[in-house]
Amino acid sequence: MPPRGKTLEGGRRKGKTPRGFRALFARILVSDRFGHLTVPLFCILLTLFFSGILLLLLGKNPLVSFYSFLQGSGFAKKASYGNGVGMLSDFFAFLNICAPMLLAALAFIFGYRSGLFNIGIAGQMLLSGFLATIWVGYSDLPGILARPLVLLIGMGVGALLGGCVGFLKYRFNIHEVVSTIMINYIISYVTGFYINSRYVNQISRSSNVCSGASRLTFTKVNIAGYSCSVPLGIGIAVLAALIVQFILKRTVFGFEVRAVGSNRNAALYSGVSVGRQMVLSMMISGLLAGLAGVSYYLGYTNTIIPRELCSMGYDSIATALLGSSSPIGAVFASVLITIFQNGASYMSSTVGVAREIASVITGVLLLFSACGGYFRKRAEDYLKKLEDEEGGEKA
Amino acid sequence: MSLKGTDTRPDESVIVELRHITKRFPGIVANDDVTISVKKGEIYALLGENGAGKSTLMSMLYGMYEPDHGEIYVRGKKMHFRSPAEAAEENIGMVHQHFRLVENFTVGENIVLGVETVKRVGIFPVLSMKGAYDRIRELSKSFGLEVDPEDLISELGVSARQRVEIMKMLYREAEILIFDEPTAILTPQEVEALLKIMEELRRSGKTIILITHKIEEIRKVADRCAILRRGKLIDVLKVQDASTQEMANLMVGRNVVLNAEKPAPHFGETVLEVEKLCVRNEDRVQVVRGVSLKVRAGEIFAVAGVSGNGQTELADAIAGLRKAESGSIRLMGKDISRESIRERNGSGISYIPEDRQKYGLFLDFNLRSNLCLRRYFKAPFSRQGILNEAEAERYARDLVEKYDIRSGQGTETQVRSMSGGNQQKAIVGREIEEHSPLVIFVQPTRGLDMGAIENIHRQILRERERGAAILLISLELDEVMELADTIGVIYNGQLLKTADAGSLTSHEVGRYMMGVSG
Repeated sequence: MPPRGKTLEGGRRKGKTPRGFRALFARILVSDRFGHLTVPLFCILLTLFFSGILLLLLGKNPLVSFYSFLQGSGFAKKASYGNGVGMLSDFFAFLNICAPMLLAALAFIFGYRSGLFNIGIAGQMLLSGFLATIWVGYSDLPGILARPLVLLIGMGVGALLGGCVGFLKYRFNIHEVVSTIMINYIISYVTGFYINSRYVNQISRSSNVCSGASRLTFTKVNIAGYSCSVPLGIGIAVLAALIVQFILKRTVFGFEVRAVGSNRNAALYSGVSVGRQMVLSMMISGLLAGLAGVSYYLGYTNTIIPRELCSMGYDSIATALLGSSSPIGAVFASVLITIFQNGASYMSSTVGVAREIASVITGVLLLFSACGGYFRKRAEDYLKKLEDEEGGEKA
Repeated sequence: MSLKGTDTRPDESVIVELRHITKRFPGIVANDDVTISVKKGEIYALLGENGAGKSTLMSMLYGMYEPDHGEIYVRGKKMHFRSPAEAAEENIGMVHQHFRLVENFTVGENIVLGVETVKRVGIFPVLSMKGAYDRIRELSKSFGLEVDPEDLISELGVSARQRVEIMKMLYREAEILIFDEPTAILTPQEVEALLKIMEELRRSGKTIILITHKIEEIRKVADRCAILRRGKLIDVLKVQDASTQEMANLMVGRNVVLNAEKPAPHFGETVLEVEKLCVRNEDRVQVVRGVSLKVRAGEIFAVAGVSGNGQTELADAIAGLRKAESGSIRLMGKDISRESIRERNGSGISYIPEDRQKYGLFLDFNLRSNLCLRRYFKAPFSRQGILNEAEAERYARDLVEKYDIRSGQGTETQVRSMSGGNQQKAIVGREIEEHSPLVIFVQPTRGLDMGAIENIHRQILRERERGAAILLISLELDEVMELADTIGVIYNGQLLKTADAGSLTSHEVGRYMMGVSG
């Protein structure tokens, strides 16, 4: 990042701490108090900058495009609305995707904080969604029974899958990335087989839709005169974020999770039972992924496309990283990323850019947010270098 | 200084000259105006205690650091090394304390790494290993190094790996070879072999700089010896003319005062009783073989030995980090060999581990969390699984004050940013504060400067006064002789000799450490 000329300029200055815009900027990124905020913000700005250039190259006005993302997600008013729908309807549609995204990001965070890289979120989502669909979604149970049951199945299946990965790691030392990728494929093909052979809808080529009573989204709810789809998942997701935050920060269990994630040897030395802790963390990560699964497959889509792992399972990793792998950060990160994903179709229709461009922008954002740690490291190195030069001059 | 005359006169045979080198690190002067000159074809030893600045001095010659002041001359030319690569161009090579080898490469591949011979087949560059292997075999024969270029590194033992490191330097045609504490990890026989190799290298005209704190090795091979203490050059001696006693006195710089300060022991009941303990390491090799020992309250039982003779595993087994294969461990009469680590801590074991950064601390956590590591799960530090930060803060502040733990931002400081001495103070403070009947210290002063070492030694003696049973495991013979009430010498996983500290001289202990029994 720092070219040679600038570095020398910084080094020539007198005083204790290096000054100048560049140094100030670096210090903002490194700062203990604000770093977790400034680094993601920097990533977002970079994304807007690069996608702005991309849109300009396509001959479109980037500001109009960005605004149309907001309009598409119900954060700003569109030019016109259809009958019975309005900004509120768009906003609830947005919440429908945001909920599973947040839950999936939380799932990743919990594993990540204990030092485990859960890349199997997509599979855990799919299996719990699938089982909840065939066990409850296709039954005649009334809503009051069906919905809690769906949630329970989601959590249970996810936790079992996660626990299984944790156990494989603890007992046989199989790396969780390897086992989860394999399990993802197994789940994708096995569920695909069952959907295609038993539950397929001949027209849509996707699984039959679940009963309205089991669905976690209340459709066609009339709010202030607008027809909205109200997701139960968003409440669960925000609650989950708060609970995860509390567990990690304030409980003995959370401390031990972070301890194992930070230094496994030292955790062992301090008397933490590392194996138990790993299995438990993976179980909780899986449980959250399971919740993401049911709120995705029995809320947002209401059907399962056979042999397809949803990309959200992977996007959630970048979302988690954009949120500095903190649960509260993940709330904001998932809102932001969902705005891009959800607003894409409206953007494409108003600005006249292919829908895919929106995916490119999301991709750029995910790429930059995954680089957040790198930016921070660069800033740290730069500051260290400046300090060294200062020190060298003084001596 | 005795050799000042030769320093000022230009001398044909001088190959390396360091003039007035000063290097500061935050809070410490590692080298203070050090001037030495090394002649071509000699073995030049740098003698000094841990933290005396030997390695730092050589790191500057090797291009790892740049000196704050002073000049480096190689073959009469002034040098500004910015990286080890630049030093290597001047035929300077270093064998580090920690080897830098690729485990799943062969010996040959490791040796040629970075200087591979490349042939071209058409437009494709192809690695040509055959010529390299032949040259390695040839070098190996001429220096008696015994390395087979086709062996895998992961299958080799420590001493063979060290030979590979030496070969790496020779393959790069190094003329000036720096050895950083090469014998610390070797068994006595391997030490003999290594010293022979060094003599062989000298015979062929190489210049060797040997960093060590072991006087015996210097006596055996070195021609001249520079003594460093707290970063300053104390003297340069001709090894032939100097006595071991003289070198030791110059190295330590004073008579060992701590012994005088040590009050008479008051032994109490037996606290720790280990019987016929056997432990295997991760490679399933039995490294502790039938060790039996007893430590009484108020007693410092020191286990002396060359590194890698099973002492770390012994401590780990007692603390519970490693499973004992057989034998019993009794703490105040209660068999604890089946208890978990946390149960053992609760039963009364405090443990200051050898590797403070790998085991003793969470470097990314703040000082407060690290200080509360023994207590966070107990009331009042937590209730019903909910942490009480206020209590933790209060306790951490107490410890910071009591044990003089210095850090940038108090209890909020990330431990990674603290100095080694203060990190160790934090661990020692945390462990001692448990007032455990048994305190295990493993290498408690490794890598610390003199001030920190004295501080830790005082703490150990204070614990002894309190009536704790202390198991001290140290590679530093001086430390053992200074502190111990009882000495057990471990060799190859067995306690060769256990005796009253007063009845043994350091020379005798040294002999047992080399495996000479009787």
